[in-house]
Amino acid sequence: MNVSALTPSELQSRLKEAGIFLQTGAFIIHVQTSIRSVAEGIARLYADYPLVEDAGFADFHVRLIPPGNLRRWFRPQVLFSFDGRIPFKPLPLDQAFPMLEWGMNWCVSGYSHQYLILHAAVMEKQGGAVIMPAPPGSGKSTLCAALVNREWRLLSDELALIDKAGNTLVPLCRPVSLKNESIHVIRKFEPDAVLGREVRDTIKGTVAHMKPPAESVAQSHITARPAWIVFPKYQPGAPTRLEPLPKARAFMRMVENAFNYSLLGPQGFQMMESLVDACDCYEFTYSNLDEAVAVFADLKLPAP
Amino acid sequence: MRENQMWQVADENEFLFRSWDDEFVVYNGATGDTHLLGLVAVQVILKLQQTPTDAASLAEWVAPLLQTEPDDELVFVIEQILTDFDSLGIIEHTRL
Repeated sequence: MNVSALTPSELQSRLKEAGIFLQTGAFIIHVQTSIRSVAEGIARLYADYPLVEDAGFADFHVRLIPPGNLRRWFRPQVLFSFDGRIPFKPLPLDQAFPMLEWGMNWCVSGYSHQYLILHAAVMEKQGGAVIMPAPPGSGKSTLCAALVNREWRLLSDELALIDKAGNTLVPLCRPVSLKNESIHVIRKFEPDAVLGREVRDTIKGTVAHMKPPAESVAQSHITARPAWIVFPKYQPGAPTRLEPLPKARAFMRMVENAFNYSLLGPQGFQMMESLVDACDCYEFTYSNLDEAVAVFADLKLPAP
Repeated sequence: MRENQMWQVADENEFLFRSWDDEFVVYNGATGDTHLLGLVAVQVILKLQQTPTDAASLAEWVAPLLQTEPDDELVFVIEQILTDFDSLGIIEHTRL
């Protein structure tokens, strides 16, 4: 059963009581909250996600806890609880849904060392996956949102999970996080894209999440073969430019964007080596999304 | 740097190397650090893994690779590499 099978009141009631067990890629996340805006965000953006009934087990148990005292009335706040602990300072209640998204990313990046994890978007088309590692502000999520609205499958807009056994990319298909101007850019680029409510004054500015394509969610169990590593950079007014990047330099920049490379030790090095070996590596500068999408459409699979 | 100072790879270091074209990535198991190095720097590590050596001898070792002479300029380059490696904990002075 998918989230969309529940009415808004059923979903809200379940979230408030036992919580829901949400299947997001390889992870089952148990979410509990009585906060209406979180229920609304889940209903809108996770409609196509399977609910795991009678699971009992979850990889992560998370709760969004509303204020219980005077805070209920004065600048209300929300707490994120993970396995019964409170790892972060509270945020304004209005930011509860983004906090759920950020918190789930934190759970995966901090506690899933069965994978090599990179801060990167991952999309797949015709058997080849592109990995786009980049720091915030590089236009990674905007480009990712554009591509998944143009026939690329979304594996993740935030975390690349590389399987230790096969060096394949494991999907973690979740809503795409858009910030500030990129919200407007994507609304204009794809008027049919479904976006959640805009939340202002967060630490990242105004944020809104884009619902992933249903096909991507449905294929969340299918891994992808790495084919390209592309370091994107949005630069206002810049011409679209895709330039080969020497592999050793790509390796070092991948390391800079890894969460647990050091923790994995020699295995991390060997996994990164295999990944870079398997991929053609590029730097990509863009300002025009249509041109950017056309460049990605022309990528040729590397020779096996 | 003292003249004829002998250097060796620090005992605890274990390296993994990988090259693409003329560039190497080198993983140091002792520190968990990964370094981007050129051909000369990697040759310095490989030589110091074999035997303690000074800068002048290292210059003689790498000169043929660069198709150049082991002159003062090359020795200076090697000394810079040795200084960097020392600060990164990759090499150490030879223990007497």
